[in-house]
Amino acid sequence: MDWGRVQFFFGEVWRNFTRNLIMQFTAIGTVTVTIVLLGSFVFTRDTLGAIGDDVLKKIEISVFLKDNSTTADAKNLAAKLSADRRVRSVAYIPKAQGLAQMRDRLRGQIDTSLLTSNPLPDVLRVRVADPEDVRAVAATIRKLPGVANVEYAEDAVQKLLRISDVLGRIGLAVVALLIFTAAIIISNTIRLTVFARRREIAIMQLVGASGTYIRWPFICEGFLDGVLGSALALGLLEVARLELLPKLAAALPFLPMHAANINQLVFAGELLTIGAAVGIIASWVSVGRYLRT
Amino acid sequence: MIALRGVSLVYPNGTRALDSIDLEIAKGSFVFLVGHSGTGKSSLLRLLYREQLPTRGEVTVDGIRVDKLRRSKVPQLRRNVGVVFQDFKLLTDKTVWENVAFALQVTGARTKDVMRQVPRVLDLVGLAHKSRMFPSELSGGEQQRTAIARALVNNPKILLCDEPTGNLDPANTNEVMDLLHRINLKGTTVLIATHNALVVDRMRRRVIRLEDGKIVADEERGYYLAGPPGGVAERLPTSAQSA
Repeated sequence: MDWGRVQFFFGEVWRNFTRNLIMQFTAIGTVTVTIVLLGSFVFTRDTLGAIGDDVLKKIEISVFLKDNSTTADAKNLAAKLSADRRVRSVAYIPKAQGLAQMRDRLRGQIDTSLLTSNPLPDVLRVRVADPEDVRAVAATIRKLPGVANVEYAEDAVQKLLRISDVLGRIGLAVVALLIFTAAIIISNTIRLTVFARRREIAIMQLVGASGTYIRWPFICEGFLDGVLGSALALGLLEVARLELLPKLAAALPFLPMHAANINQLVFAGELLTIGAAVGIIASWVSVGRYLRT
Repeated sequence: MIALRGVSLVYPNGTRALDSIDLEIAKGSFVFLVGHSGTGKSSLLRLLYREQLPTRGEVTVDGIRVDKLRRSKVPQLRRNVGVVFQDFKLLTDKTVWENVAFALQVTGARTKDVMRQVPRVLDLVGLAHKSRMFPSELSGGEQQRTAIARALVNNPKILLCDEPTGNLDPANTNEVMDLLHRINLKGTTVLIATHNALVVDRMRRRVIRLEDGKIVADEERGYYLAGPPGGVAERLPTSAQSA
């Protein structure tokens, strides 16, 4: 290892980097904002997706039986439904059991002892094997004799999925725009450095420095912008995860914040790679453009 | 060492800088390229280190067809061709040593070679004692000698000089010309574009005269102005000759 060469090379990189500190900070800051938004976006999307999947899997069709139906009717119907290949399970909940369950659920919130009669109908709770079949199965059940009403949360789920889909698309567009902006700003920063060093570059070319050799210090500068920016962003995201997420989870208890299965180390690596790649590509393009002219 | 065949150069704005140039320069020679400003001297030099491509014709330098040279091979050519300019083109924030070492470092030379070559050329140009000074602390002649040292540090076979004494007073001019002469004696082919008649006439070497992009005269032991008897220097008072 020729330390003199290494020293000269990194000396060049450092001189480039410190020549335009304000522009350098702008570039790093842009990368930071971009990566923070990208990280939050991916987290939100994965969480919403996981919640949606979870709800879909648990989806249940409640079959309310007519008041005049007997236990035998209910059991017949349950057997009939169980025979349907699309149905995974059928649970029969007589009105008395339903009331007891409701009492348990509402204990301490509503004084159920005030109820003088049982207002609940007999219910069959039907789960399907594939969430896609919910609509069809529900329609079949609705037509059966003895069925008063059929309810399921499909609409809500579909809405949730549609919202998360739309949000995902908007988020992706915003992040793409931000990555593009970061690339432009890094590219301009590098162009300023290139311009400040145009005499040196001209002399390098004159004395026979290879294009690669001239290019490398600038590529390193872009890489530094990208990596420092995303490292800063990772720090901010980690602070948010430790400080903000528990508060958010406490405020929105119905949203399972940890539903998304994100490997933090891999995720951090991905964000860092994206930052570095943006820096490298942006500087490569702007130096390349200068060297060609 | 250098050969041009049917070389023409027309700039995009239509200016014809060089017109059907045929020229051969032997290895180890010392040649002046003279003519008024704008006659194509600098354009011709630029063809030789491939800063410029000819519109037509063949340019050969040290056996390499420069006009057909791939872009990626240009650095290799330039390590064999040193170039010196009127305005020195030194880096003002680097010392004499750093300016010269820079030319080696950016070609990826080993530190061992930098430490060996830089003192050698600084010694050759007589600036070893000023190696820690910055260009602004040097005289014009010393700056040009630094530039020459930088051009020589890669051991090029050819040294191209574009008006090397254009910014220098007579004393510094002589200093630089003596240096170029010594470099030539060591075997380096030296080609100097100049319109300094005194320099040309004092040295009495091969003189190629350009006018409107054409070679109008090519004389061994020539003078700045065409033909004998005598050149400008011989028509000037003797005091000017010795300057």
